[in-house]
Amino acid sequence: MSSLWLWAAALFYSLGLAFALLTVVQQRQTWFRLAMSGIGLGFLFHFVSLVERGITAGHFPVTNISEATSLFAFLITAGFLLAHRRYHMTSFTVFALPVVFVMTLAAAASQHPSPTVAPILKSGWVPLHVSATLVGYAALLLACLAGVMYLIQERELKRKDPHAFYYRLPPLETIDRLGSQALAIGFPFITVGMSVGLLGAMASWEAGWVQDPKVAISALLWVIYLLLILSRVRAGWRGHKAALSAILGLAMALVSWGANYLSTHHAFLGH
Amino acid sequence: MQLSLVGLSHHTAPIEVRERLHFPEKDLPAALHALVERDAVEEAIILSTCNRVEILARLTDDADARSLLGDFLSRQRRVPRDLLDKHLYHHSQREAVRHIFRVAASLDSMIVGEPQVLGQVKAAYATGRAVGTVGSILDAVLAHAFATAKKVRTETGVAASAVSVSYAAVELARKIFGSLEGKTVFLIGAGKMSELAARHLRRSGARAIFVANRTLARAEELAKELGGETVRFDELLNFISRADIVISSTGAPVYIIKKEHGARFLAERRNRPMFFIDIAVPRDIDPALNKLNNIFLYDIDDLQQVVEANLRQRRREALRAEEIVEREVDRLLGRLKRLEVAPTIAALQEHLHGIRQQELERARLRDLSPEQHTAVEEMTRRLVNKILHGPIAELKRLPQEPNGLKLTEFARRLFRLKE
Repeated sequence: MSSLWLWAAALFYSLGLAFALLTVVQQRQTWFRLAMSGIGLGFLFHFVSLVERGITAGHFPVTNISEATSLFAFLITAGFLLAHRRYHMTSFTVFALPVVFVMTLAAAASQHPSPTVAPILKSGWVPLHVSATLVGYAALLLACLAGVMYLIQERELKRKDPHAFYYRLPPLETIDRLGSQALAIGFPFITVGMSVGLLGAMASWEAGWVQDPKVAISALLWVIYLLLILSRVRAGWRGHKAALSAILGLAMALVSWGANYLSTHHAFLGH
Repeated sequence: MQLSLVGLSHHTAPIEVRERLHFPEKDLPAALHALVERDAVEEAIILSTCNRVEILARLTDDADARSLLGDFLSRQRRVPRDLLDKHLYHHSQREAVRHIFRVAASLDSMIVGEPQVLGQVKAAYATGRAVGTVGSILDAVLAHAFATAKKVRTETGVAASAVSVSYAAVELARKIFGSLEGKTVFLIGAGKMSELAARHLRRSGARAIFVANRTLARAEELAKELGGETVRFDELLNFISRADIVISSTGAPVYIIKKEHGARFLAERRNRPMFFIDIAVPRDIDPALNKLNNIFLYDIDDLQQVVEANLRQRRREALRAEEIVEREVDRLLGRLKRLEVAPTIAALQEHLHGIRQQELERARLRDLSPEQHTAVEEMTRRLVNKILHGPIAELKRLPQEPNGLKLTEFARRLFRLKE
């Protein structure tokens, strides 16, 4: 089992997070290069761990919770790095990295040898379904974090008595743009992911899949995702409402993730 | 080496005294010449701003800095000694270095972190260099002071936030909109302060400016100055939703913009955020507007509160800046100590005569008669002294040269002298 690479990734993420905290709390830009190096190295090791896991297993490594969590954390980091390239928000690191670090750590700690993998998980469509959906979730998570940052900064500005956050968080409009872009990128992925899942399920589970609670919740989640985007584009929801709804959307996604445990077909190993 | 700083500042002297002591720029070269003509003064600069007049000088070891420089100031500016003495401070050695570092880093300023003072110290240094009163020590001290000031600026937030009401408005606009590039500004009323804020906004990239005023003539005048357009006062409510930033300062007795107007603006601009700055007393804009999402309303007291929070933030950051200054003062003093000229000359002599002795020992092993030995010893000693003559004469002159410290450093390296 290829645990070492993932542990190394977690270690570098934690270093990156520590330096990012120093940068933001102390407002000393000199630390930030170290923070980004830590995150970059963590990302690299994370990638290596995914590749190695895939080679050892002989298929795309999303056959259990640990692997899915690892891939999810990897995608969040990728999204974070993209956002950083575009917006250079030092403080965003402090919001995104803890999530990445905790997930990577959890994935590393819960690694165990895959028992016999259910044959359905090896079929071609499942990796596509899982990874595209995870990209959608990762984008939603980043939008939610942006929403949290927005609400904090908005509160500082409405209260008119600047405190620590006022000096450290980016401007409202920038945060808002980040959130809306994350959703715009995530939506096509989640649409593709869910359509593939739907088609695949129709082909292979025969009947029965319709009663799977996960399917119903996912359908609801997709509708919410769509509403998040439509409310921005059509109704001109911005700022406060958009931030709140992104947070709500993520809450729904967590419910959907939790539904994996209720579902017969999404329990990774099958029953 | 005796480094001294004598002077007065807004901390110790009222404006009446400071203005009498102030050196106009054109008088500085003559004053510096007069200063270094005194035997005890080896190097000097004079820093004269509206908040301080200070002399930083390197004096001979036995000079009494306070009476010497105090006497100079009193004669030059024709201010009685006893009046001057009440306000004058004197720092020497480490304290003098520390003081000039703090001044350059704007930690001793009336508004901590204000950026002008660094430029003023640089100008004082440039004048000193041009006149020829800056030698190796002052050059090293001031170069290090500038580097420290830069470090303080980049590593602490001491100058990061706005400390005037009009700049605070710009800073808040940035916190809302990010870049102000292409934003539209609407001025209601043509007061002095709205004009100032509008100028700041324009400089930060704001594009269009609209002015509405009860007297159209004044509106036109201001619009022309700012490169904007006028809007008729009774039509302003139809125009405001085009603006991202609204600055209001009329003498109206009741609210011009009410909460329901705010809701209408937001609908018209599809919730794009708006920033209202109400500097009128009594206020022009219903405070309830601030309760609407995507609208931010600040009145004059709110702006003042932001300024005060920023000042508190600066003071917190100043504590960290002081630590940087202490560290850099130590580093500079360490370097100065290592590079003093007298020890360098001694080390150089020791080094060459050491080589001579070594070679003489080696020669003694061969069979030289005592007479021959004495002759060789005499010859080599003269040889070494002749070689040393030029370098030592040059080294002795180095303190008077601005790049003397670097040359001393180089000389030590050239002969591989230990520290």
